[in-house]
Amino acid sequence: MSTNYRRWPTILFLGILTAPLVLMYVYLFVDTITNSPPGSMIPNEFTAEHWRFLTETIPGRPSIWLATWNTFVFATVTTVIVLVVSSSAGYALSRLQLPARSFFLGGIMVLHAFPTVTLLIAIFLILQMLGLYNSLAGVILVKSALELPFGIWIMKGFYDTVPWEIEMAGIQDGASRFQVWTKLVLPQVKPAILALGIFSFLAGWSEFILPLVLAPDNKVQVLSVYLAALIADDQNFDMALFKSVGIFYVIPVIILFVFFQNRLMNIYSGGNKG
Amino acid sequence: MRILLDKFTKSFGSLTIIDEMDLEIHDGEMIALLGGSGCGKSTTLFSICGIHKVNGGRILFGDRDVTNVTSQERNVGVVFQSFALYPHMTVEQNIGFPLKLRKETKPEIKRKVDEIAAMVHIEELLQRRPGELSGGQQQRVALARALIRRPDVLLLDEPLANLDATLRLEMRSEIRRIQQETGITAVLVTHDQVEAMSMCDRIAIMDKGQIVQITEPRDMYDNPVSDFVAGFLGSPPIAFVKGRISGGKFVEPSTATKIPLGAKIAKANDGREVKIGIRPEYFQPGSGTMISGKISFIESQGRETLYNVTLPDGTILRSIQSRRSPSKIGDEVEWGINADQILVFDQDGVRI
Amino acid sequence: MLKPSSRPHWATKSLSADTKTPPEGEIEMGNSKHLGLWLLAPAGVFVFLFFLAPVILTGVFGFTNMSTATGITGGAYMISDTSMRPLRSRYGENELADRLTQKVYTIDDAGLKAALEAGGDAAAIAELGDKFLDQSFDRRRGVETAIKSLSARPSTTRGIKIISAQFERSVVNVRFDSKEDLLVAISDFGIALNEGQTEALGQVAYTGWTFTTQNFKTMIELPDTSKTLINTLFYVFTTLILFNTGFALVLSITTHYMPAGPAGFFRSIWLLPRVTPPVLYVLMWKWLAWDTGFLSVVLEPMGFAPRNWMLDSPANAWTFIILINGIVGASMGMLIFSSAIKAIPQSLFHASEVDGANRGQQVWHIILPQLRWPILFITIYQTLSLLTSFEYILLATDGGPGGATEVWALSTYLKALSNYGGALQYGYGAALSLVLVIIGISVSLIYLKLFDFKNLTAPPKIE
Repeated sequence: MSTNYRRWPTILFLGILTAPLVLMYVYLFVDTITNSPPGSMIPNEFTAEHWRFLTETIPGRPSIWLATWNTFVFATVTTVIVLVVSSSAGYALSRLQLPARSFFLGGIMVLHAFPTVTLLIAIFLILQMLGLYNSLAGVILVKSALELPFGIWIMKGFYDTVPWEIEMAGIQDGASRFQVWTKLVLPQVKPAILALGIFSFLAGWSEFILPLVLAPDNKVQVLSVYLAALIADDQNFDMALFKSVGIFYVIPVIILFVFFQNRLMNIYSGGNKG
Repeated sequence: MRILLDKFTKSFGSLTIIDEMDLEIHDGEMIALLGGSGCGKSTTLFSICGIHKVNGGRILFGDRDVTNVTSQERNVGVVFQSFALYPHMTVEQNIGFPLKLRKETKPEIKRKVDEIAAMVHIEELLQRRPGELSGGQQQRVALARALIRRPDVLLLDEPLANLDATLRLEMRSEIRRIQQETGITAVLVTHDQVEAMSMCDRIAIMDKGQIVQITEPRDMYDNPVSDFVAGFLGSPPIAFVKGRISGGKFVEPSTATKIPLGAKIAKANDGREVKIGIRPEYFQPGSGTMISGKISFIESQGRETLYNVTLPDGTILRSIQSRRSPSKIGDEVEWGINADQILVFDQDGVRI
Repeated sequence: MLKPSSRPHWATKSLSADTKTPPEGEIEMGNSKHLGLWLLAPAGVFVFLFFLAPVILTGVFGFTNMSTATGITGGAYMISDTSMRPLRSRYGENELADRLTQKVYTIDDAGLKAALEAGGDAAAIAELGDKFLDQSFDRRRGVETAIKSLSARPSTTRGIKIISAQFERSVVNVRFDSKEDLLVAISDFGIALNEGQTEALGQVAYTGWTFTTQNFKTMIELPDTSKTLINTLFYVFTTLILFNTGFALVLSITTHYMPAGPAGFFRSIWLLPRVTPPVLYVLMWKWLAWDTGFLSVVLEPMGFAPRNWMLDSPANAWTFIILINGIVGASMGMLIFSSAIKAIPQSLFHASEVDGANRGQQVWHIILPQLRWPILFITIYQTLSLLTSFEYILLATDGGPGGATEVWALSTYLKALSNYGGALQYGYGAALSLVLVIIGISVSLIYLKLFDFKNLTAPPKIE
């Protein structure tokens, strides 16, 4: 970094642009534990009342704990499927002789760029026909499928960086390609698997449209749909409650973000929808 | 223009790279900053051009104190090690870029670019992009860009390091020719003693952020101030032999060979533990003070042949000979040291 | 699951590995081919079920009139107000339609039995059966007159009505599983059909979905379509230029000129909106805009009446929509541009500074030219995602106020999957999606062409 330009002007400039965003996030937290007098934005008391939803089920809604469990199952199972399928398919595409290999590669790349949300109506109808509508299993399969092109793409990219010499040496030492993959190559891409896992989990945890359309029922409701339904209900408008549910909902995201920020930055720049 | 570094100090964080260094570069002179990696030579260069801010001392261009002046206002030309040509611009745009930034008119820029292109012999390359040029051509473009606005000083950061051997030879003389034609003050940063010796008027040899010796190339070769300088210059390198001065002579302990020394040195240091430096060209068969050892290594360098001769205590002497002798590895030989040309250092490496 | 048939092969090989090492190509060729297919298979199943099939089915469904009314699987045959309308308008069979929708009162065994169960007077029912069995009346009054004429007639009007109600016969709103069942019922009802009428009835009475190009005609004819199209173009290009590339460049370039600490801090902050789940992220904006929210409270002392700033005018709605989407979109550009700037050799920055460039000139002459490919990449990528994603708009304005922010993708969702407006028009929604799918496939192929496909397909080094 050279010292020919002063730094404070850029910091000041971006600081001013960033302040409103920071304000929104600060108030997101503050409002969940305080009350403000009407017509003011400055809290005058602390309160735990906005968090009652943890113990008292809100009328007409499923229990928050059921929704949390559903969300957890949804995000975790999706992650496992994405990891298993992407790490195997990514290896095949990166390293193995395949018939029509360039067709598969091109296909994955097109799918990676392709806006999957346009297929929602057809997917909805397919799930209806398969009898998986309104079930967690259905929405998990769909979410995993939609994450796969990205996952395979990322894993292929990471496999590409593993030196060929490792595999050649493994084969000379008498291992099969399958052993080479599981014993020698997979350990090399552990960081990639971790990053993809975190990314998939966050993507599953945050997903809204798919569960909304494919599994809206109370008994399979996930937190995003739960919160959206709460907000959409005109009869019971309580911004502090919404924010508290929101904070509750976002806790795992915050934890993962704080611990794995750098990995996430890498993988987000690898491209994803949105 | 004269360049003066006055008690120049540079540190990164808590790590001080250069501590109170003084250096004067005369007007029109080409000086080499020579040293191993991490000695502070590139840091010095980046400070002269203003990319690094100094932490103490002053930098003067002529009488102008530029210590706190930005790179943009210093009027220096720099040839970077990687040449740093702008990949998206043609050669013509690259060379004209400094003038464009000064908002000179298009015809004016064109005229100056053509002029400088003729000087560095790249007239036919002006419409190409850097990616389409060979290393030597890129080097010429980088030189042209550095020189086009007549800088007060031309800085060259390892300019030959990215070239192959034959190009290096060619560009060595080309850079020197252009520097002499323009009469510009120039600083060459290099770790290659041959470059420094062949291209520059003076060499400043650096070690650990300090200038150890600054003088003309031949003088530095013949009269190094320390074993560090003696070891740095010369290829194959000088060999050092430890021993004691006794009775006007240097005594090599393992063979008890006695090498006569100049009376003055011998008298003043009688009885002292010292080491002597013997350059390969001064250890030859047939004449001088004979010393015997076993040939441990032979390397043919084409025109000449290098021999390593190991003494009984493991000390190695080097000999470079233009006539190939019939000796083989393992042979015992007795060759002579030219006593007039040996360099004597004390135990701390300071020349006596 | 993933163990291919190569197992014995490597087992023997590892035993003999010490003594001789056969040429690798010879051993590995056949096995790795199978292994590759095995490893790809699960991905293939997913891709087929949830990509290829939906793409094809979107095309198929786009040419149907599928909706909640028609159901998704096969349909039934039914005489109803909706099915009689085309019978009159398209086939001119007004008389037939009138007769089919008419109610008829027939004294039959089933009716008599039902009347008994409904608690009608037993004597009266028995006498009615004796005297009037198999007689039909056009109106209920006719049946009731007949009942009153009985000697054992019920004493109350209610008693009469209980009995008379059981003889009402109609083919309206009865589901028949096949066309034959329907025709039998109609002939039982006492209506004889000629061949043309049978054909026409078969067409109009079918309640399941049928193939049609009507969706595309509707799409072209409806004025809403062009409005949605204009909305979409405005939304995509404004967001793309201002934020996904514009603001992303601002973020990556300003942080480039900062020390590592503040740069990392700002990048983290601007990454937050992408990491925050959409429902919560939009909630924060709603808090900002709500009529008791931040803007209202802060602006009230300045003389602005509290209001829902997000929905009070189309201009405001668009401002919020573009901010909400743009800030999320900018983070991806920020990360990609930042790493591209980091990849520019330091010496280029140094050289340009020595050459006399100020900061603006350095950005313009050195940084931006080096970002051409990343900018193109982001532009293509984000055009697609802006064009097709509607999550944030759905959550923020739901297309409001008054459809002002309804974009194409949201419109497909609202038509086909949100039952807010009544029936879900799957067919029409699919037709709207089909437009996006076709754009999506074309742009993806362009993307593939542009971004150096050849590099990706370098063959494996172990055969």
